[in-house]
Amino acid sequence: MTIETEWRNYDVVVVGSGGAGSMAARAAAEEGSRVLVVSKDPIGCSDTKISEGNATVRQVAADDDSEEALSENLCMAGGNLPVKDITDAFAKDSKTAFDRFRAQGLRPAIDHKRNNPKATPMAFGGHNRRRSVGLPNHGIAFGHANWNAVVQGNGVDYLEDAWFLDVVTDTFDGDRARIVGGLIYDASGGKLIAVRAPAVIIAAGGLSTLFFPKTDTMRGNTGDSYAIAARAGAELVDMEQCQFLPFCIASPPSYEGLLVGEPASASFLGVLRDKNGKVILDSVYQRTRAECSAAIMRAVADGRGSPNGGAYLDMTGNKVLPRSGPYFMRYLETCLPGAYVNARQAFSKPVAKCEEPWEVRPSAHYHMGGLRVDAVGASVKGEGAGARNLGIDGLFAAGQAMGGLFGANRLGSTSLTEVSVFGSRAGHAASQHAHAFKGTIEDNAFAPVIAATVGRFGQAGTVAAATLKQKLQKEAWDTIGPARTGDGIAAIGPIIDALTARLDDVAIPAYATWNQSFIEFEELRNLLETARAVAAAAGERDASLGGHVRLDRGDISIFAEPYSTVVHRGVDGSYAVRRVARPKTPLKQLLAYKAEESWRQFQSKWFRFLPDAVKDRKLETRYQAIMGTPSGAAREVEPGSDDAAVAEKRAA
Amino acid sequence: MKVEIELNRDGESNVIEYDYARRAADEKPMILDVLLQAQATDIPDLAFRYGCRARNCGVCTVDVNGRPRLACRARIKEGDRVSPVKTLPPLADLVVRRDGVARQMRGRLTSVAQGNNLNQDAPDDYHALTACVECYACLQNCPMHARNFTDGANPNPSEGYQWGNPFSLLKLQMLRLDPLSSDAGRDQALAHAEDLGLDACRDCKGCKCGVGIDLMGKVVRPLLEAAGE
Repeated sequence: MTIETEWRNYDVVVVGSGGAGSMAARAAAEEGSRVLVVSKDPIGCSDTKISEGNATVRQVAADDDSEEALSENLCMAGGNLPVKDITDAFAKDSKTAFDRFRAQGLRPAIDHKRNNPKATPMAFGGHNRRRSVGLPNHGIAFGHANWNAVVQGNGVDYLEDAWFLDVVTDTFDGDRARIVGGLIYDASGGKLIAVRAPAVIIAAGGLSTLFFPKTDTMRGNTGDSYAIAARAGAELVDMEQCQFLPFCIASPPSYEGLLVGEPASASFLGVLRDKNGKVILDSVYQRTRAECSAAIMRAVADGRGSPNGGAYLDMTGNKVLPRSGPYFMRYLETCLPGAYVNARQAFSKPVAKCEEPWEVRPSAHYHMGGLRVDAVGASVKGEGAGARNLGIDGLFAAGQAMGGLFGANRLGSTSLTEVSVFGSRAGHAASQHAHAFKGTIEDNAFAPVIAATVGRFGQAGTVAAATLKQKLQKEAWDTIGPARTGDGIAAIGPIIDALTARLDDVAIPAYATWNQSFIEFEELRNLLETARAVAAAAGERDASLGGHVRLDRGDISIFAEPYSTVVHRGVDGSYAVRRVARPKTPLKQLLAYKAEESWRQFQSKWFRFLPDAVKDRKLETRYQAIMGTPSGAAREVEPGSDDAAVAEKRAA
Repeated sequence: MKVEIELNRDGESNVIEYDYARRAADEKPMILDVLLQAQATDIPDLAFRYGCRARNCGVCTVDVNGRPRLACRARIKEGDRVSPVKTLPPLADLVVRRDGVARQMRGRLTSVAQGNNLNQDAPDDYHALTACVECYACLQNCPMHARNFTDGANPNPSEGYQWGNPFSLLKLQMLRLDPLSSDAGRDQALAHAEDLGLDACRDCKGCKCGVGIDLMGKVVRPLLEAAGE
């Protein structure tokens, strides 16, 4: 029996049903397009749904919150890697993007004086303004809105349990590539679906599963977005920039990878220790995530790591001081509440109460790199910000799939705004593109990908894709994970080659309905492609910057000429990488940042040498300023934000 | 630690015994730990759903000894049997077909998007209902959902099930609680609940939520009271 292929016609196909996909689908449908959403997980079950549920809403607390201020804020935070057109677009739409969720049933608390959603009491992660809105039930409330957006109908059809395998392109105007549709494996329907469509929006999330189980995100992040785009010939940008959170659970296994802390939550006296109890990093709260991850992974590399491949975050020093100690636990519980819930569930009582150190290890959290696009999410190529008329015609991206918005680092509470801003922008642009599409779609353009896919069902072989996947995950962690070396990055290439060669030896039964072996095969194919793209970019970025940590090299100076890496897959499957120049921050701003950084480091150095009694009283005063009383609450910070790692604050 | 896992492949079903290797002497594994280890060792093509591993995404529900559990946050012990949730049609191994539930709501969410003033506070009960992660544990023992399969009926999930369940009632009750819904929209949501078989709730002892929402108090009874008016 061979798997059957069904044919369908749409104007716009959206890959993914999280925040970006659902907002893209609604925007395209509002313009009269016939839209198909393709989701491998149940509708709305995405990173948006499992997030902390805080969104950036410009001007929600103050009228003087200008577009310029927010755009500049994003560029500085991202180490100048973000594309100005894209940060400008984010800033412009960030006032109203939140209302798109509200139109789907998201109901924040209201500030009746300002007649808009109520802002969180303090400025969030790295923001120079109060402009974040939180929701009861966090991301799950957004999940309901995304579900409503897709399931309601009104111009949107959807498939869940359906893997979008590849886009199909032909050429026009000489040799320019253009989207004519895509091929889908409908696992619950037990068939392939070939869709003729002039526009495809990729909103299929990130790549954290490349490091599973060392991640706190959804399992479905198998790099599908990047792999599908790369195979179609699109360019990817900043692919070395993966955000790892340093303090995640190493053990017990059921909680492996979940977040327990950030540099800020380690508080004033938290230190990192190796297995011998030696301090490997002090003043943790003043460090960047990269410094923390590097210290942990360096200890592991030297054989001084903890039993589960991490190190110990020791916060006992905060707890034992008689005056300031009582404040500390409450601070820890309230500044990062979701993380502390994880710690309380996963650790024994004395550990959770900080009477003993926590075994921690980094986890993959968010991918800042992605498809190279313009401000409406359209594929671009060329120098500088790139040009749409050089990109893949009809290919769009939104959400974590796209690059160019965050560069080397991300402000807190921005990704839920990102999905709405660029989801709806891509939805509108794709719809306009589809309506203007003049060509004819030839079914024979689909023939090669259909034949190749049908041929996989019933493939004889000796190995399971899931087994190869675990091998890749282990190797990726060691070489292109949170701590990298030149040798490691070079070593992953041949490993990827060897695993790719084994794809033809994967055993896949012939049956059509929910063929798990085929699903694992496809996800492995995407993970391998993505690992290649990350390795190529990581090899080009020859010193540390943002999420790219080189143990064998120092930091790239903030005074150096900034550049982004751009990778491009050749027809033979190899990756070419090059640098694209980015504008530099004015010298005055850089000097101010440097001075602030030096002052901060000087203060924390000096503080450590004070006698305990003096330290205790000074800390009591600091906690009082933050929380008032020992039963007060600290200001909440967003995981992954600059506020949760103050040393990463670059914004003025 | 030996557990039983029910496998369904290509129309055939059988139960295998899997011997879970504890990673620490005192480990009390979650169901998902067992499934992940089985996939990493003896059964690499084991089909099961999972997502966030932290009880937020709602996709990993399986039956343990016949009762629905979120695999990522429910412990498993010697001799337990893991099987696909029996309230929905099996697709492969522990994966069931979910979309017949969501699809019944197509065209029934029309009062969601309205152009009136967005700046209105929703009542606490509305926020209580957004805690639903759509795990479908509530389908267990639901007489309304069971009507779909009366007398061995085998409805096509692609068309959406005819009869409802606590989840679909929850979505409709959210529309009724939403301050942005019009009176007509609220009436329509109630009419949809009645179409979906709300009468089945009258003699029912109650449904159980996988994440602890008071379904009877906040969904079923308010709808029944409104229907009785």
